[in-house]
Amino acid sequence: MITDPTFSQRPKLILVLALVRHWLRNHLILLGFLMGLCLCAGVRADEQEPPANRVLRISSSTAETTLDPVGIQDLYSAKLASVLFEGVLTYDYLARPAKLVPLLAEGMPDITDGGKTWIIHLKKNIRFAPDPAFKGKERTVQASDLAFTLFRLLDPALHSPFSFLLEGKLVGLDDLAKRARDSKQPYDYKAKIPGIEVIDEWTLRLRLNAPDANFGHALAQPNLGVIAPEVVAFYGEQIGSHPVGTGPYFVKRWVRGSAMTLDRNPHYRQRPWAFDPGSDPASLKVVEEMRGKMIPAIPRIEIKIIPEAQSAWLAFRRGETDLIDLPSKLSPVALSHGKLNADLVQQGIQHEIAVEPEIIGNYLNLQDPMVGGMDPAHIALRRAILMSSDDEAMIRVIRKGQAVRLSYPVPPGVLGHDSKYKSMLPYDPIAANALLDGYGFKRAADGLRRQPDGSPLVVRYWRTNEGESRDMEELAKRGIDQLHIRFEGHAVPFPDLLKAERSCQVMMRQFAWIADYPDGDDFMQLFYGPNVHANNVFCFQDAEWDRLYQESVALGPGEKRDQLYQKMARMVEMYGVMKISHARLHHELLQAKVMGFHISTIASVAEWPYLDLR
Amino acid sequence: MAAYFFQRLLQMIPTLFGVILLVFLLFNWVGGDPAYVLAGKFSNPEDIANIRRQLGLDQPLYIQFGIFLRQVLTFDYGLSWSTQEPVSHIFLTRLGPSIALLLPMLILETFIGIAIALAVAYVRDSWIDRTLTLTTTAAMSISLLIYIIVGQYFFAFVLGWFPVQGWANHGQSWLRYAVLPILLGLAVSLAPAIRLYRTFILEEMGQDYVRTARAKGLSETRVMLVHVLRNASIPIITNVLSSLPGLLIGAFLLERFFSIPGIGREVIMAVERSDFPVIKAITVSVATATMVFNLLADCAYQWVDPRVKLS
Amino acid sequence: MSERIAYSTKARHEGPKSLASIAWARICRNPLGLFSLGVVGFFLITILASASGLIAQDWDTQYAVSFAPPGLMGAQQEAIPDEVISGTIPPHSGMLDPIEMYGLKDPLQPVLDQLKDQQLQDASLRAQLPILARSPTLFLGADKWGRSVALKVIKGAETSVLVGMASALLATLIGTLLGAFAGYLGSWVDAFIEWLYGVFTAIPYLLLVFAIAAVLQQKGVFTIILILGLTGWTGVYRLIRAEYLKHKVREYVQAAQAIGASDARRMFVHILPNVSHVILVQLSQQVVNFIKAEVILSFLGFGVPVDVVSWGSILNETPNELILGYGWQLMTCGLAMAILVTAFALFTDALRDALDPRMKS
Repeated sequence: MITDPTFSQRPKLILVLALVRHWLRNHLILLGFLMGLCLCAGVRADEQEPPANRVLRISSSTAETTLDPVGIQDLYSAKLASVLFEGVLTYDYLARPAKLVPLLAEGMPDITDGGKTWIIHLKKNIRFAPDPAFKGKERTVQASDLAFTLFRLLDPALHSPFSFLLEGKLVGLDDLAKRARDSKQPYDYKAKIPGIEVIDEWTLRLRLNAPDANFGHALAQPNLGVIAPEVVAFYGEQIGSHPVGTGPYFVKRWVRGSAMTLDRNPHYRQRPWAFDPGSDPASLKVVEEMRGKMIPAIPRIEIKIIPEAQSAWLAFRRGETDLIDLPSKLSPVALSHGKLNADLVQQGIQHEIAVEPEIIGNYLNLQDPMVGGMDPAHIALRRAILMSSDDEAMIRVIRKGQAVRLSYPVPPGVLGHDSKYKSMLPYDPIAANALLDGYGFKRAADGLRRQPDGSPLVVRYWRTNEGESRDMEELAKRGIDQLHIRFEGHAVPFPDLLKAERSCQVMMRQFAWIADYPDGDDFMQLFYGPNVHANNVFCFQDAEWDRLYQESVALGPGEKRDQLYQKMARMVEMYGVMKISHARLHHELLQAKVMGFHISTIASVAEWPYLDLR
Repeated sequence: MAAYFFQRLLQMIPTLFGVILLVFLLFNWVGGDPAYVLAGKFSNPEDIANIRRQLGLDQPLYIQFGIFLRQVLTFDYGLSWSTQEPVSHIFLTRLGPSIALLLPMLILETFIGIAIALAVAYVRDSWIDRTLTLTTTAAMSISLLIYIIVGQYFFAFVLGWFPVQGWANHGQSWLRYAVLPILLGLAVSLAPAIRLYRTFILEEMGQDYVRTARAKGLSETRVMLVHVLRNASIPIITNVLSSLPGLLIGAFLLERFFSIPGIGREVIMAVERSDFPVIKAITVSVATATMVFNLLADCAYQWVDPRVKLS
Repeated sequence: MSERIAYSTKARHEGPKSLASIAWARICRNPLGLFSLGVVGFFLITILASASGLIAQDWDTQYAVSFAPPGLMGAQQEAIPDEVISGTIPPHSGMLDPIEMYGLKDPLQPVLDQLKDQQLQDASLRAQLPILARSPTLFLGADKWGRSVALKVIKGAETSVLVGMASALLATLIGTLLGAFAGYLGSWVDAFIEWLYGVFTAIPYLLLVFAIAAVLQQKGVFTIILILGLTGWTGVYRLIRAEYLKHKVREYVQAAQAIGASDARRMFVHILPNVSHVILVQLSQQVVNFIKAEVILSFLGFGVPVDVVSWGSILNETPNELILGYGWQLMTCGLAMAILVTAFALFTDALRDALDPRMKS
């Protein structure tokens, strides 16, 4: 910092010389240090490294948050947890639609008492990955570990984002959590409750409050990966950095937010690669490739975090990674008309497509003072607004054609989907304008519409600051402009958006929901009245709809429930709550050497243990 | 000198307090509420209230401020709210890549900048000088974003000279990944450096002692390399010293595009997740570093030339 | 400084020549400065034309197909489907078609029945809509919505230059005022402002931006100006404070005090004109910095709203486009920005030289 600009006289040269020499010496030391670092990095030889061609290299656009199963809420961390931990059940690798199969359990649970009692028999001699927490002993999974894992999900101190999996399900568990929360006492893991009972070393009995067709899905989530109490005690609040499970891999090296190396778990059991391909040609090919192999086949997985999409694509093209989930905004580089480009085919790049089990679309808040309300005029206003959204352009321009048009609240691949359902909210600005005229939303002198009572009318569209949402806002604005309604964009940070949405402050927004488990209930619960201020971001409360929903829950999957769902879907459209627009296509590209790949039915379960490299 | 140093250290306390107060007010009071993010997809108001209690967000502001002050004094910011990683660990592990990126950049910038600035100052007002002025101005006018987008696409992807992105993990060479980001950073920072150093050098060249040296019959090379350079290096060193801490976060664009796990990227992630412990720790640490380095720069200045009044 | 006084006495002898006219004469003698002034002037005229609505008012119109290449490069290889060219207004309204209601009664049915008579299905009515046939190529190409890159860049220049100038004015104003107060008044005022300066410079710039953006909440061009202005005043402040420290002990200020001029008068009537050259140079330097800073703000998501276009918002669309082979938006915008900013910076240099009292004329 130049403190005095008038300083101009001759400085004492000797001192300057000393300073310069000092400075140079410092820099020389630094340079030497840096060069030394490089040398060290080059020479350093690790013990027993697998050859480079036996390493699966993967990239992720988001960084992992935590690897404590109960603390996970993002997909990437859940994928990691799915190869480090194992739950009682999992999904069959090849079966479509998704099918539950035993993982740590000996077989599927014995369900008695009209669906209220579940008895789980664990496989014997399943060993946890070696860890200092076990003090050098081999440790096998026992029923008490599973009970501990179930207890842990509801521990108020851990505030698990996936606690809903067990909330209200097991007899006595919620009371226990509530007591701990209210009394501010530690949660009692030793408590005896009727909901979770250890019968013997390998057997656990669960009692449910009510029959629940979806309870099996809860047991298959990575968030219920079995963990040992002594590991949790050993690492304390650092447990999120020390994942120790029974999964096929364990964390060998980990640079948070940057890179991770997973190695094959030396304690992993003999598990042959044996899945039924059915008649699906892609599955048949995979079965052929993997015949006679074991799970996991690849000794090492290296994962890098690459936040920018173009960096990830360039890295894949340069062969620095083996798999890429091609973001739709980049899809034209690899695909034309949904097919892989010739140059990529020539290089042996493989390609697999699946529809994401998700719904994306614009919604309106039914409690909003401007557009909310159940009077015909405001129902018409909402329907007109939703009809102004050009879904074809959204898919073509923003998704680059890599999405399927959808109008049913339950996406394909999820139980309860109806492919024949026809939307009553087509893109039609002309008809929407006629509807607004018909309900007295007259245009004032400035050419913009007013409420029927003459008060101002503004559509406030909310979004996050993230890149693609800006494109979505541009499209929404084009639609609203065609209706001659004033449009205001409102971009806020994600936490603020969530807060506003949960307190019914958001007027309009594009909403996306991806399946947590492959059943329609995961989607239908979004519109359930009591879920306002929670998942019901539409703030939609309708007694008739809620009655139908309760009925659908009692029915469980089946034709009868499908009929209810159709009616419920129509009501969501009729009242102008949400217009489901599309679900994205998942394009996975693989280098030629990757074998055994089939896109997982559930996004939170990673395919990696089922792969091999040529 | 020691008294001055001590006095300056004392002066840092109110500034640091101001930084702490500002950070606290801005992020605790008007910043986002992380409870909604942490609560996950299926959360209800009780979950939110529970999380707010766990994080201490339901406490009155003055108690939260007291906790923050204690954290600063003990240098223990607890755990990150979103990743449960100790904040001190986050800070220390992200510092390495940032420094590995910035230090070589700064060193190269200084040496190359001085060399070129000396050369053009030597031939000042010639066509070479003018061309270089024009080039550096043009180079400075291009956005860093364009340098990165085009540089990454062209040098790493099309030409394949460097890896497209990534950072050295164990057993890999650090240099392999760092070269392109360093070069791109250099492309941006070199031009202003040259211009600045040229001014410093020209300033010195106008001084009486240079005239004296020339009058003594010293060769022009000697005058430039020994007399002028020595004196011009004082403002240069202080400039470099005081710019170092700011660069830690300033390199976030490079860090994002090249997937470098540095401090800048971490700050952006923390802000996106409303992860206050991380934001607070990084802000206060970088602010402290800025003040310390400024003090060092001033002391270096004073040490070299005691006639600079320090009061 | 003695040169400066000598210079002003000389000027006085030569007759009534203001500093401005001398500076102008000096700039005129600097061909590079004059040329860059011309380039800046050209941009300013374009911007004025666009601001007054003469040109680029239709920048938001979708003239072409998505990513139509520049005319010189020829049309895209693939055939473009008709519906893409003719826009997407459906030729037939689905709203009035009979639809399965699963036993529900539509509350809007009465009005929908009325609308049946209004011939919503009339194809000729639908054809009257102002839908442009989309062009397969466009001068300088099109963006993803099919908007003209050329018009966007012009309109973007308007916003970016406005942001640059307004925020530079704001930052310079804040910096000058604080610098004047701190430097002139001294004592506790100086101590307080120095403390504020210390705090602002110690907090990393990026976090300051995030924090101020969080406080302002709203989105818009004005917010960007405030963010840039409120974070960018420190450099100006430093220089102005030093100038005021220097000037307040000068004879002319003491003379003003002797004739009873108030503090405010001495600060802003007597000293200010004498430091105005520093302010002017700082101002034009800040314009350049802030035009560049707007790009980074856009990258961070604090850019302009969607009904406004700026160079920052354009450049932030481009990283993906380059890989997709649609480089024209990056090239056009990058080039326009480079030319304006270079010209402005060169003009600033010329201005500095012209205003520098130590330069021999």
